[in-house]
Amino acid sequence: MSICSEWDKINPAEYEGIWVYLEVEDGALSEGGLQMLGVARNLAHKKETYVGGVLIGRDVSQLAREAIYYGADKVFVADDKRFEEYYAALYAEALASLAKEYKPEVILVSGTMRGREFTPYVANILRTGITADCTSFEVDQAAKDVLGVRPTFGAYLIAHIRTLNRRPAIFTARPNVFPTPEKNLAREGEIIHTQPKVADVCGVKIINRTRFSRGTVPIEKAKILVSGGKGLGSKEGFTLLQEFARAIGGEVSGSRKAVDAGWINHDKQVGQSGKTVRSDIYFAVGISGAVQHLYGIREARCVVAVNQDPDAPIFNNCDYGLVGDYTEVIPALIKAVKKLQKQSNPENKNA
Amino acid sequence: MNIVVCVKWVPNTTSVNIDQKTGTLIRTGVPSVINPHDLHALEMALTLKDRYGGSVTTITMAPPSAKLGLEHAIGMGCDKAMLVTDMVYAGADTLATSYTLAKAISRLKFDLMLVGQETVDSSTAHIGAQIASWLHIPYLYYVVDVKYLGGGKIWAKRLLEDAYEEYELTLPALLAAAMHSTKPRRVKLSHKLRCRSEPVIEVWNNKTLGLEVSCVGLKGSPTIVKKTSFVPEVPRKKVVCQPRDLDEAAEWLVKRLVEERLLKI
Ligand SMILES: Cc1cc2nc3c(=O)[nH]c(=O)nc-3n(C[C@H](O)[C@H](O)[C@H](O)COP(=O)(O)OP(=O)(O)OC[C@H]3O[C@@H](n4cnc5c(N)ncnc54)[C@H](O)[C@@H]3O)c2cc1C
Ligand SMILES: Nc1ncnc2c1ncn2[C@@H]1O[C@H](COP(=O)(O)O)[C@@H](O)[C@H]1O
Repeated sequence: MSICSEWDKINPAEYEGIWVYLEVEDGALSEGGLQMLGVARNLAHKKETYVGGVLIGRDVSQLAREAIYYGADKVFVADDKRFEEYYAALYAEALASLAKEYKPEVILVSGTMRGREFTPYVANILRTGITADCTSFEVDQAAKDVLGVRPTFGAYLIAHIRTLNRRPAIFTARPNVFPTPEKNLAREGEIIHTQPKVADVCGVKIINRTRFSRGTVPIEKAKILVSGGKGLGSKEGFTLLQEFARAIGGEVSGSRKAVDAGWINHDKQVGQSGKTVRSDIYFAVGISGAVQHLYGIREARCVVAVNQDPDAPIFNNCDYGLVGDYTEVIPALIKAVKKLQKQSNPENKNA
Repeated sequence: MNIVVCVKWVPNTTSVNIDQKTGTLIRTGVPSVINPHDLHALEMALTLKDRYGGSVTTITMAPPSAKLGLEHAIGMGCDKAMLVTDMVYAGADTLATSYTLAKAISRLKFDLMLVGQETVDSSTAHIGAQIASWLHIPYLYYVVDVKYLGGGKIWAKRLLEDAYEEYELTLPALLAAAMHSTKPRRVKLSHKLRCRSEPVIEVWNNKTLGLEVSCVGLKGSPTIVKKTSFVPEVPRKKVVCQPRDLDEAAEWLVKRLVEERLLKI
């Protein structure tokens, strides 16, 4: 194996531990980071090593304990006013600097938008391999290294990817692909305060941030989702889905074609290039069931399909399916829900 | 402003099919297209050129057949195109690809670099950040709008999960255009015909770039694909019916969901 002469030589055997970068969101650890701690525990168990959490930011030290409760054995904290604002290259340099110092074997990062932005830069600084959007991990029994498994070629195939000779191996996974581990207040761990070496941020400065409320429960948190596709035919179709969602306490989401048509907002897209959902029920209405869409609903507990084409692939990937025109099926479902609500709770005037 | 746009020539993954009998992927006859997300980067660059003048050069690292994609980019209004191609670049992962592209790009004089958000065939969204890293230039992803501020600075607005953010960047810088951020213009025949009459597409190979072979292609790639497989199917009940009495079927389904404790009524 030849290695580019411009790269620092490393000894892979010196690298140990499964690290997780912990993104901070509104003063708390982001859900995606917690989910990666769950993955890391699993890998650390198989590899008999420790789980390290990395916290970068300002006034983030108090979150270290939280990371331990969720699975970290050691938390490396870089709490400094230099890290008050997130800048991709700045955070990348900080994480890379810690990785050079402490030599973890693996770094896991949740593929939030910021995670996807800065992690490839970390990989470059370390001249190492990065595998994006993993949906599972394998530990090779012989080589004892960690492989990332990810969709490729438009999600028609999955590739099992290995990082040879370079460490750490870096992986990202989209939020929600893995479950959030239980919080265990009895867990103990070590907190290590660090001073990563970073150059001054130059050439990029934030001048304004406008937060917007998503108005509704984000689809990745919803228990019930009513999702519409191209088959709705128009934006009005979503009004009907909204009515159904309201009747059963759910939220509305959509396929990419529905998003492309402008019938529903981009942040509500389900699928490989949208979000992975973990709802109890996922209604797929007027959605054909393309592989990329199915990718986002693998973790849904129950999939209910409504489609007028009995040969639509979604019917091969659902728990329950009703073949029919949604403009008839959805009103029938609303009617059934209201009827049962009345039966179970006759006093409820709203039902 | 002189702008360089990275584009990739990809199989049109929307027309890929699975051979139901053999369970294999039918790749033959799948036409290639410019990665759809890169059309937004091209449009953003061409809009900036319309507004502030300068030039737009597009670049791809690919086998020679990608010339067709570059002709498309010229047809949209790019001034020049570079095809970076050599057998030794084959099998590159994103580290080696970005290294090769960065070395090629550093031969060009540019103020701004634009990339697409991700590719539809590999969809890693790595290349932008990695090129910025090799070139040591500031970068920003998910950009929906850009303006030139003068004095070697640009303003860029980006969209995150729950916020719009505005930034000032010092040129040279790299931006990744967000999906859905523009309405990409169509190809104009008069533009495209330039490919016939002028040497608008330049081909660079490793003689041109002179890169160490162990830093590029498969050899310069820390990651390798150990194997590929099909996406495992999720086990589902597959109870499908084409009801004669819709109300009855709907009621049956709702009751069922309540019984399974998925729905609370
Ligand atoms: C790299 C890549 C990433 C992608 N990522 C995503 C992603 O994240 N999410 C995603 O969804 N897609 C994604 N896609 C697109 C995907 O391939 C499909 O094009 C898309 O999912 C199709 O959306 P649809 O099911 O709404 O539309 P269609 O495939 O057009 O299906 C419409 C369905 O509606 C049915 N129908 C029509 N009229 C009615 C009616 N009156 N009542 C009931 N049913 C009706 C039809 O029978 C049909 O099955 C991606 C593609 C690529 C290449
Ligand atoms: N081989 C390539 N040649 C030129 N640009 C590329 C190439 N691969 C990726 N890119 C650019 O990098 C972006 C992100 O690609 P990716 O990291 O492959 O998802 C794309 O939208 C392109 O703009």
